[in-house]
Amino acid sequence: MTSIKRRTLGALAALLLAGTIVGPSFGQDTPVQGGTLIYLEQQAHTNLYPPAGGFYPNGGVLNQITDKLTYQNPQTLEIEPWLAESWQVNDTATEYTFKLRPGITFSDGTPLDAKTVALNYDTFGLGNKDLKYPVSEVINNYDHAEVIDDLTIKFHFNKPSPGFLQGTAVIGSGIVAASTLALPYDELGDATKIIGTGPFVVESETLGKELNLKAREDYNWGPVKFTHQGRAYLDGIKYIITPEDSVRIGALLAGQADAIRQIQAYDEPQVIDAGFPIYAPGTRGLNNAISFRPDNPLVADLKVRQALLYATNRKEIVDTLFSANYPLATSVLSSQAAGYVDLSDKLVYDQDKAKALFAEAGWTPGADGILEKDGQKLDLTVYVSLPQPQNEGVLQLLAQQWAQVGVKLNVLAGDAGSRTLDLLDPLKTPVNVTMVGRADPDVIKSAYYPKNRDWLLQKGGSSDKTNFVDDKLNALLEGLAAETDREKRLAIAGDIQRHVLDEAYTIPFFEEPQAFATAPYVNGLEFEAVGRPSFYNTWVAAH
Amino acid sequence: MSRYIIGRIGQALLVLWIAFTASFLLLQALPGDAILIKFQNPELGLGPEQIAALRDAYGVDSPLWQQYLQALGNFLTGNFGYSVVGSVPVAHELLTNLPATARLASLGFTLAVIIALGLAFLATLAPFAWLRTAIQSIPSLFVSLPVFWLGIMLIQIFSFRLKWISVINPGEFEGLILPVITLAIPISAPLAQILIRNIDEVSTQPFVAVARAKGASPSWVLWRHVVKNALLPTLTIAGILFGELLAGAVITETVFGLNGIGGLTERSVRFQDTSVIQAIVVFSALCFVAVNLIVDLLYPVFDPRLRRLKGAPA
Amino acid sequence: MTSIGSTDILVSKPRNAAGNPLLQRLRGVSPSLVLAWGIIALVVLFAVAPSLFTSFNPVQGVPAEKLKAPSLIHILGTDALGRDLFARIVYGAVHSLTGAFVAVLVGLVVGTTLGLFAGAVGGLVEEAVMRVVDVLLSIPGLLLMLSIIILLGFGTVNAAIAVGITSVAGFARLSRSEVVRVRRSEYVEAAFGSGGTFLSVLWRHVLPNSLTSVLALAALQFGGAILAISTLGFLGYGAPPPTPEWGLLIAEGRNYISTAWWLTTAPGLVVVLVVLSANRISQALGKVGR
Repeated sequence: MTSIKRRTLGALAALLLAGTIVGPSFGQDTPVQGGTLIYLEQQAHTNLYPPAGGFYPNGGVLNQITDKLTYQNPQTLEIEPWLAESWQVNDTATEYTFKLRPGITFSDGTPLDAKTVALNYDTFGLGNKDLKYPVSEVINNYDHAEVIDDLTIKFHFNKPSPGFLQGTAVIGSGIVAASTLALPYDELGDATKIIGTGPFVVESETLGKELNLKAREDYNWGPVKFTHQGRAYLDGIKYIITPEDSVRIGALLAGQADAIRQIQAYDEPQVIDAGFPIYAPGTRGLNNAISFRPDNPLVADLKVRQALLYATNRKEIVDTLFSANYPLATSVLSSQAAGYVDLSDKLVYDQDKAKALFAEAGWTPGADGILEKDGQKLDLTVYVSLPQPQNEGVLQLLAQQWAQVGVKLNVLAGDAGSRTLDLLDPLKTPVNVTMVGRADPDVIKSAYYPKNRDWLLQKGGSSDKTNFVDDKLNALLEGLAAETDREKRLAIAGDIQRHVLDEAYTIPFFEEPQAFATAPYVNGLEFEAVGRPSFYNTWVAAH
Repeated sequence: MSRYIIGRIGQALLVLWIAFTASFLLLQALPGDAILIKFQNPELGLGPEQIAALRDAYGVDSPLWQQYLQALGNFLTGNFGYSVVGSVPVAHELLTNLPATARLASLGFTLAVIIALGLAFLATLAPFAWLRTAIQSIPSLFVSLPVFWLGIMLIQIFSFRLKWISVINPGEFEGLILPVITLAIPISAPLAQILIRNIDEVSTQPFVAVARAKGASPSWVLWRHVVKNALLPTLTIAGILFGELLAGAVITETVFGLNGIGGLTERSVRFQDTSVIQAIVVFSALCFVAVNLIVDLLYPVFDPRLRRLKGAPA
Repeated sequence: MTSIGSTDILVSKPRNAAGNPLLQRLRGVSPSLVLAWGIIALVVLFAVAPSLFTSFNPVQGVPAEKLKAPSLIHILGTDALGRDLFARIVYGAVHSLTGAFVAVLVGLVVGTTLGLFAGAVGGLVEEAVMRVVDVLLSIPGLLLMLSIIILLGFGTVNAAIAVGITSVAGFARLSRSEVVRVRRSEYVEAAFGSGGTFLSVLWRHVLPNSLTSVLALAALQFGGAILAISTLGFLGYGAPPPTPEWGLLIAEGRNYISTAWWLTTAPGLVVVLVVLSANRISQALGKVGR
């Protein structure tokens, strides 16, 4: 830290000599180089194969040590050049040609060339059975990569793949060295083996405890439109795994840490009172919600699902458990996402309407107040989803609200194995907690399409215990994934949002952010489009 | 004696093998498996066909006996396989976490013995009866505090309020202070209870009266005889301590953000990471039989009364 | 998780088989013992008739009343969903006590049966049983406990069974050593000598004489079980919401330690009081045994 002070003093002296009057806010806007940032992460990273970067602890590491072909501006959501300086797409979106920036090297000294990029995308797009690499979620219809010359590469798709350009900008598309991809998948949990081109390099790691990154002195290929070029301001980042919420916050406020991830809404006031900034970048995908599995006879009837939607007081949930950083959802899609349509008129809380719909559908209150039809009770089950903020509280409030109209909701906490199995069986789990972040309309297809995440558990998807199919929805999703015209594509995204809410498949609660807090002297903490931290522009002021 | 030792080693191997097999069967009985949990995870967003291909690549659907023989064979040849969750070789995870746990556990145990001795002596030598009674009930208080609560409170008070000790990025020694205390306090309680009982017994023995009559101070008498008597129960406890420390360690590790076998065990059970669990079971069983063997062999050395007996009490 | 060495604590010394425990007990009654029984009686009442103590609903809260500090209306404050904490503690008694009771019962019944059987029969059977006990001890208790919960499903009773199974080995070792000790004593040999059958001797002489220290261990385990279930809640293996089990209340309340201290402190104090009482009673039983 002494080096920071010296530098700042030097700059201060220079300015004073120049006769400038220095206000107290000086140092807030002139980046200072040096210092190690202590960053507290809630969970240890797992496998650092780039497509596994969806897991936040993984993304938080990968985003510093790998770069992507393109950069998605988090403000405009436009795709900008990064490792690729330019690209061309054919009319049918089946061929993408990228021109790489020259002079880029991996941290092991090997150059970034078309051959390495081809190997990366062939692995992400097709997987590698021998080394057990799974495919990447964001790359659809991938066929093969063609190396045109050292710095030019062409990707071929067997069907239109308009989401691919954005797919090259996501966390799961970080480019790693050929030596990394030569290792078996089962060895990529060791961060020291992930060789990227990023502004930071893994220096050392104690598995499950801490990870040390150091800045790459020769880094000079940040996203082209960044004003900051050259090496990162920080000398290094120390990630420390601190699972306890109270310890992370306490350590930040006590001056033992510089930045932390994951603060719950109820802890925000003490952070704000201490004058520490909170960052809550949105995840720009599908909102935190519950989705029904219509194959379950209890929720097969549209009227029942609609009634449950009307019986849900979403505002009470958000007001009770969350803060201004968790905006009430106004569609299934985040309001910060491309293709978002405001559908708040379809998301109304009206207990009387709910009761009327239940009655129409033939459900009448039984002796214990729980609705019954043909001797069956309206008794639903949902599993708590641990990664979602305060999900247990959300579901308990929901259960309380539904109980007021005679619906029983059992909230289950279970082990990972039973949970995974039960979630594949619509009879056991008529309702599921759903959320996914990605800043491209393709995310809707990812969520609902039976061959992807399959939220509604359709026939032909992940479960062999279901017969439910919504052909109209699936056709819309296929259209979304294949439509090359941007305007038309966004229009389809709107149609899908309407369809999902008209069918009451999903009840969205709030737009889920990733919440971070830093010490006041930490500046320039930025986030990629889906809320993963980027420390490239971060600097630590004298303190 | 050598026949006895060979017999004991045979027994130990049997225990090891049963532990390995029992834990294998137990894990197989759990719903789902590691590959399913890992790849059916929405964070990866894999489709059903991709998951099926991965299951095939990992061979998780092959017959049980085949998987058992393979696991056993791998262990016998020293190949522990890969951790599915951590995506590193199991040996790597054990090597990272074992020394950390061993250090925490041995320091915790040492401190526990010191606290227990201190409490036992105070409980006997304190000047007032009420004070002695109060001190005697401290062990009960120690066992009634949830360990995680104790750890969090220690951090809140000594690290965040008083700012005496850093828990984040501390010095080597500094970082061990609070975790060791957290681990030691609940362990010290039963030890203190044994010692207090021992002192009660020793002080009613005729030779104590004789020693006192000869002018020895009570504390000297207690020290000489109690420490000698306390060694055996302490050793016995050490024998079954490993498993208990693991349970205590997982909490200490979680609260203080340390790595170690406790947290590794919890994570591996949660995600049914079979290879890691098998390795931990074998290792823990190995420790258990080794420590017990040593304790059994040492018993006669410390207690002359037992020298005549062939075996030692289990 | 607090069963460390409890086996050894209570391996009692040879005792006077013909004492009068009842008289001793009455004469030696201490105020702290009365208090301990009083506390246990009160929480049992909580469990039996919770509605006598509070009019609040422990499950349905009033969201607008969330995170209120202790006051005359909510004597222990409210939680994040606006539920009265005192009501949750009162209604949670039945869960926690059942849990602790089941845990002890499983350990006691299975462990003691194994130990008695092994100690009484001796020979190869004893060897075999004690090796099984060794295996139980050699598998980390944490691993065993978590696996059993996963196998049985999450819930207070299942967690209790898991906790109980981990204490089986302790009970088995203790009861076996007691039986071996008693069996070697003169009066039992005399009983055999005078033509008593194996079972009758076991029942009339061995069991009663081994039982006091086993019961004392049981009382000790009772407190330990509440803590163990709480620890499971901390690790994320607790009963599903909205069960107001005490251990779970402490575990969940810890997140509010610097913003709503009462959420973890109040149930924590209740557990401390109950565990202290159980230990006090355990000590008294142990002394009677001697």
